[in-house]
Amino acid sequence: MRRKREALPMPKPDMTPMIDCVFQLMIFFMLTLKIVAAEGNFDINMPIGMDAGGTPADQQPLKVRLVADQAGNLASVQLGQRNLGNDERAFAQLNSEVLRAIGGQPGNQLAKEMEVEIDADYNLHYTHVISTISACMGRYDERTQQVIRYIEKIKFAPPRRPAG
Amino acid sequence: MTPMIDCVFQLITFFMLVINFESTQADERVKLPDSEIARPPKVKREDEVTINMGFIRNKDGSKRVQEPLVFLQGEDIPVPQMMPRIKKDLQLYRLEHPDMGKSINTTVKIRSDSEVPIGKVQELIKLYQEAGYDKFALQAMEKTEE
Repeated sequence: MRRKREALPMPKPDMTPMIDCVFQLMIFFMLTLKIVAAEGNFDINMPIGMDAGGTPADQQPLKVRLVADQAGNLASVQLGQRNLGNDERAFAQLNSEVLRAIGGQPGNQLAKEMEVEIDADYNLHYTHVISTISACMGRYDERTQQVIRYIEKIKFAPPRRPAG
Repeated sequence: MTPMIDCVFQLITFFMLVINFESTQADERVKLPDSEIARPPKVKREDEVTINMGFIRNKDGSKRVQEPLVFLQGEDIPVPQMMPRIKKDLQLYRLEHPDMGKSINTTVKIRSDSEVPIGKVQELIKLYQEAGYDKFALQAMEKTEE
């Protein structure tokens, strides 16, 4: 007579290798994680005194002159012949002047064609140029939390090499 | 054991999602200026080369050398000496992309330290222009609301 087979308990799977693996993965991800602030950029096509393309011949670019002191700090922002100052208010004023130059309506044809030429002193710190580009290209609308673009085309005048 | 494994898997998923391998091209020595309206491009660029430019600084933040340098992998090169390196990189790129033709569809992304003189940045752009590049992007940090 056949003996009835006894039910054996199911063997528990050995979890140790998997846990080892998972911990290794976790440590890898923890070590390689770098928390960095998000970066953005400003596109510049054909810089150094060249036309950014598509600007009608009869339309002169808005000329923004940035004057630096000896240490490379901003001494003044000039729009055409007008001196706007050298602080945050100067950039705010530049921003409203650019808006006025495009007829007060971002996104229109004039805004698409308008070009700004930045003519900066050689030793001016890069941060001031970024502030100027920001002031020319648009503004951040806190209400809608969107960036309103004024103009797209930015070009640089040839670098002003220091004498000697 | 199960709750612990659940927890660990959650952690791994979190790290996998937040990890950003692209930021490895960013050099930590470069302190970017910030801007309220700088935004990443809406459409991802087909091809781009990132150039880090800044100063070698002491621990207290003062500049060890006044001349800004271009930080490449393992090499720090002054701007006027960049041309041979640009040409070499371009040659390698052409070998990898034999069908690219004359035009270079690569955007040069410039990550420059806030205190670098703009003249140096312009000179670097000019060198890349002479090599045949015509698309440039100036990087800035997205300013967050305080």
